[in-house]
Amino acid sequence: MTVMRDTVVKALAKCTVQGDENGLIPEYDVLVNLLPVSLLNKFTERILAAAPADKKEMVEEGLVRAAYECGYHTGCGIITSEIFNDVVLPMVTEGEKDILRGAYAAFTAWGWAKAGIVQLKEAEKMVIRANDYYEADSVGDGMRAYMFRGLCQAFFDLTYADPYPDGMDTYACQQTKGIEVGDPYGEFVVTKK
Amino acid sequence: MSLTLDFNLDNETYRHYLNGHPVVMHSHHYLALITKLAEDLGDIGGSQILKDVVEETMRAIFDDYVQKNGLTSPLDRCNVGREYYSAFGLGKMVVTGSESGGEVRLIRSHLDEGWIMKWGPNDKPINLFTCGFIAAIFAVAFNKPVKSYTVTEVTSMACGDAEGKFIVKLS
Repeated sequence: MTVMRDTVVKALAKCTVQGDENGLIPEYDVLVNLLPVSLLNKFTERILAAAPADKKEMVEEGLVRAAYECGYHTGCGIITSEIFNDVVLPMVTEGEKDILRGAYAAFTAWGWAKAGIVQLKEAEKMVIRANDYYEADSVGDGMRAYMFRGLCQAFFDLTYADPYPDGMDTYACQQTKGIEVGDPYGEFVVTKK
Repeated sequence: MSLTLDFNLDNETYRHYLNGHPVVMHSHHYLALITKLAEDLGDIGGSQILKDVVEETMRAIFDDYVQKNGLTSPLDRCNVGREYYSAFGLGKMVVTGSESGGEVRLIRSHLDEGWIMKWGPNDKPINLFTCGFIAAIFAVAFNKPVKSYTVTEVTSMACGDAEGKFIVKLS
């Protein structure tokens, strides 16, 4: 048996989070927050609109970096969590490849993007296709799934780079298609830096 | 008053909703880095952009809740914001004041505590996010338009203070 994506997505999607008596959500070895999608998209739109041409690349890199570090640290907490252990690990028969499949099922279940792996060359290249992702709702120019790029990069680093926390910045992700620019789906390619 | 939290899931897209508004989970790493990005872009108004976006977005969510639940008293309307803050995992606050302004004490803080976990203490307050959030709370409580209140962070857990303190003034 390998990871059965639909089973994992359905099991993990039932999880909801909310603040405890201190108004905090300590989960997956980090403090989790739950934020309106419109807030995140609006910040991206406004900060990019305000940035002069010579600063746009720096802003885009900053947005990817925020998601990357979030994904790298939180992702490690997720793939070592009790729920991942209970739901995904019993189906893992193909090592890292299955861990990565499980991670993308979590990616979908927790509402970041309805996405899955369409091509994988272990430790070299991965192509991800997303049929829905919240950044596609944003208004602006060009492909702008910065959060998605950062998370894809983080997941591949966690799976194939040096063990956590030494594997940061081994791989990079580029967006090659985007719903936000009229493509039927988003496509993301992860390769070695 | 106790905020009603209605979580829903779109079974087709797997997007998550809280009280009808799409929401998504991230961690303190994300919010700390977004805050730092906004600060680093101070020359193009990054800090103000972050405050304004938080205020506008939260105001819309609070308005929706108070209208659907018929809340008219400033205290009830203020509590909607205060309780949303905790439900979102952003921390715990104590709000005092009137239409002309007030004070907010931050007892626990996702961003400040997360900032310290990530980078250690900072030499100046960093909680732009909560400044915007508080401006939205006062605006909805007293039925004022957005940008009616100026919020200044005067003590900060990220700087080593025991609590955060924010002064709110009607602009």
